[in-house]
Amino acid sequence: MTGANSAPILLEEVSKRYETASGAVPAVERVSLAVQREEFVTLLGPSGCGKSTVLSMIGGLVHPDAGRIVIDGELITGPSPHKVALVFQDAGLFPWRTALDNVGFGLELQGVVAARRREIALGLLEPMGLRGFEAKYPRELSGGMRQRVAIARALALGTPILLMDEPFGALDEQTRLLMGEWLVGVRRSTRKTILFVTHSLQEAITLSDRIVVMTSRPGRVKEIVDVALPYPRDLNSPEVADLRAKLWDQVREESLRAMEGGA
Amino acid sequence: MKVLLWRAAILMAALAVWEAVAAPLNPILYIRPSSLPGALLRMWRVPELPPMSEHVWLTFKEIITAYLLAIAAGLWLGFVLGLRRSLGRVYEPLLAALYAIPSVVWYPSLMLFFGLGPASKIAFGFLLGFFPIVLAVLAGIRQVPAQLVTVAVSMGARPGTVFRKVMLPAMASTMVGGLRAGLALSVVGVLVGEILGARSGIGYVINYAYGLLMTQEYAALVLIIAAAVLAIDGAGALLEARVRRWAG
Repeated sequence: MTGANSAPILLEEVSKRYETASGAVPAVERVSLAVQREEFVTLLGPSGCGKSTVLSMIGGLVHPDAGRIVIDGELITGPSPHKVALVFQDAGLFPWRTALDNVGFGLELQGVVAARRREIALGLLEPMGLRGFEAKYPRELSGGMRQRVAIARALALGTPILLMDEPFGALDEQTRLLMGEWLVGVRRSTRKTILFVTHSLQEAITLSDRIVVMTSRPGRVKEIVDVALPYPRDLNSPEVADLRAKLWDQVREESLRAMEGGA
Repeated sequence: MKVLLWRAAILMAALAVWEAVAAPLNPILYIRPSSLPGALLRMWRVPELPPMSEHVWLTFKEIITAYLLAIAAGLWLGFVLGLRRSLGRVYEPLLAALYAIPSVVWYPSLMLFFGLGPASKIAFGFLLGFFPIVLAVLAGIRQVPAQLVTVAVSMGARPGTVFRKVMLPAMASTMVGGLRAGLALSVVGVLVGEILGARSGIGYVINYAYGLLMTQEYAALVLIIAAAVLAIDGAGALLEARVRRWAG
């Protein structure tokens, strides 16, 4: 059976409004989406299109006003740290913990003993090029390193699903490209189901199996684009150029709408 | 080490200049540093007073009691107001306004309530030490980055765990700063209380010496207090630096 219901992440007509001083603002409207096992899906759209809200709702941090979110057959009503791990744009490392202890944080919450935490954390940090940095504090690490520690912290939970909210958004262009390449490798070795949020066409094309283009506020699914290209993706190939042009048309329309409507 | 040597050298030079300037002048107004050790010895055995050690011990007990009460009440009120935002919004401006009033104006009423004995000194030391602690807790809670709380919650941390593993470490350095300021003010409160009206304690002895124009003895006592306060505050500063390093 491979019906839509067996998908690890299932959103059915999910809506969310935010209350502001000038009334309720719809952020997300009737978003339906099924992410398949080991699939890499990207939500792409202009700032403020509600893509982060969608991720927060799947992570159980924000409750939808309408619709249902089902993870592995279970309705989401709060964080489910055994199934879903989150990575945010801001690394959000605990400044008073070393890289190693940051990675072990989630395991600590689950009562894993220190020796085992250390073993798991080292096992994640080493292939990330962070060998020898495990005893450093976040302020002693570069932006790219901090973000890798944050990703290691999420991976340490060992969840089948990883939600990433513009994880490389705060990094410079070069680091961002390298981190993208690196994430492709991580994905291959960990076989996780990943839902990724970005406003970068390039990032979406390099990483995704499917790209969900979202409309500007309120966020709806505008179009879903399959990216049937092998990894690693050659950004200069004609297929990628076609795809980029197609996506840009869609995103451009929404970005213009966002600029006119929002600012 | 070099810095310490320089400091010692500057201190010695200042004392030498002071000695030279004071030598030909009226010894009641211009006290020579070299007269202080003798004065302190005399002070230790004033026949009309109980032994100095009793005064020192009493003052010490008053300060510790006042400070512990200030910590307990300050932390309690700070967390109650800080963790319930609506309460904090109502009461924080009131606290800040109360803090702005020169606290010494409350002292006469404290003496009426608690009498001339140690209780009024403890109450005053408590009052002074309490405010910086409450305000530091409130400021500390506001400084906790929301992002860190979100990360912890997304990993399944319950409110108690978020408090212990995220909030407390994130606000530690601000809180230690407040605790340090509170200690300094508790010391001030107790000493001022004793000087303004008491029958024992270091502040009382200072007042006694001053009243009899025993200025050398008076100066010796002031130096002792200064040394004690500097030592306490130095320990506080070390602790604060440690916590800051730890909490980034």
